[in-house]
Amino acid sequence: MTKHTSQCHLPQDKVLADKALAEQVAKLPDEMTPERDLWPGIERAINAKRQQISADKHRNVFVPSAWAASMAMVMLMSWFTFSPETNEKTVPALVKIPKQASPTSAQLVNFMQQNFIQQKQILLASYGQPMVDRLPAAMQQELTQLAEARASIRKALLGDENNTDLLNLLDFTQQQELKLLQQLYRQYQVI
Amino acid sequence: MDSQVIHDKHHKKVIDGQALFSANHAEDLGVIDGEQVWIAQAKQGSQSAFYRLYEKHHKPIYALCWRMLADKDSAEDVCQEVFVVLWQKINNFRGESKFSTWLHSVATNVVLGHLRKHKNWLQRVFSIEEPGTNFVEPSVSLTDDSTLMLLDQHIARLPERARLVFVLFAVEGYRHEEIANMLNMAVGSSKSQYHRARNLLQASLKELEFSSGEQEMNHD
Repeated sequence: MTKHTSQCHLPQDKVLADKALAEQVAKLPDEMTPERDLWPGIERAINAKRQQISADKHRNVFVPSAWAASMAMVMLMSWFTFSPETNEKTVPALVKIPKQASPTSAQLVNFMQQNFIQQKQILLASYGQPMVDRLPAAMQQELTQLAEARASIRKALLGDENNTDLLNLLDFTQQQELKLLQQLYRQYQVI
Repeated sequence: MDSQVIHDKHHKKVIDGQALFSANHAEDLGVIDGEQVWIAQAKQGSQSAFYRLYEKHHKPIYALCWRMLADKDSAEDVCQEVFVVLWQKINNFRGESKFSTWLHSVATNVVLGHLRKHKNWLQRVFSIEEPGTNFVEPSVSLTDDSTLMLLDQHIARLPERARLVFVLFAVEGYRHEEIANMLNMAVGSSKSQYHRARNLLQASLKELEFSSGEQEMNHD
């Protein structure tokens, strides 16, 4: 960058005026001192930006995880809501027993479990006690997942006996497992 | 730079490719090396190195802000903004030019951005150019500041566009093409604003000369 202040081909007084101005410009100080100390404000702003960047990094990790969790939740809710077996008709009256009914929740859970085991045995007997391990791997995995879900719900119910939603969920899971077994063995009669 | 003489506020005199340092050569080299170290450290996130850069450069940057904005408080705020922007953008400095030159261009952009943000809404809506060719009313904070050079006080009283062009062209050494690009105006407009500023400054300086001469005569 070069300083520009002089001009040519101008009348004499104009040239002198330009020269005088150029001299004045050349004398201008390179530096000026601000009245207040500017650094504390700069430091605060820099630290705020740093924190913001750090928060953004954390958010970058958190957002995909939260997104995945939300998607899983939505899929689960969709499954419970739109699955043909989840309408009111299929929810058994068993768990709709009002709280004043005689059995305690723990007893109810045990009763549901025994009932489920009996139903499962009857079902398997009707198909000639087929071997589960002969089913395709994907089907086996689904059955295992349902069984694991059932076990988790039972475990949760032990800590929260009066949770009606969990009771309904346990019953629903058991029914799903039975229906899946029924469908599978109907489909794979040869097994 | 062969046989080229550069003489402005941000470049040392360079003749036939040899730098003529005004201060002690070794000391000067030490300063340059020190600055490069600070830049490298600041790029790595060192705040103390950045503080050293601030210490070295904030006064010329404040002078630039003050001259362009003609307001002490705004100049202080914008000077702070310049260094915050510098912290964010320091990795963009590749050493292709002098750090001070690069910093001045960063500062110029920050000042112009500030002016655009705070432009009077009437001017923004109706694209009104400042009326007349006279000086604007002086701000009290400017005229009362006895530490300011007389010319600086007159520059501060110039209409905004004329002031910006004058500071960028005559003080900072930008070309009219660059100024036109920065201020989003035609090159011809930049030139005419410069002439306008120059005439106003010459007239006011002449007037001052005349009045001081009159005062001397009255004394006699």
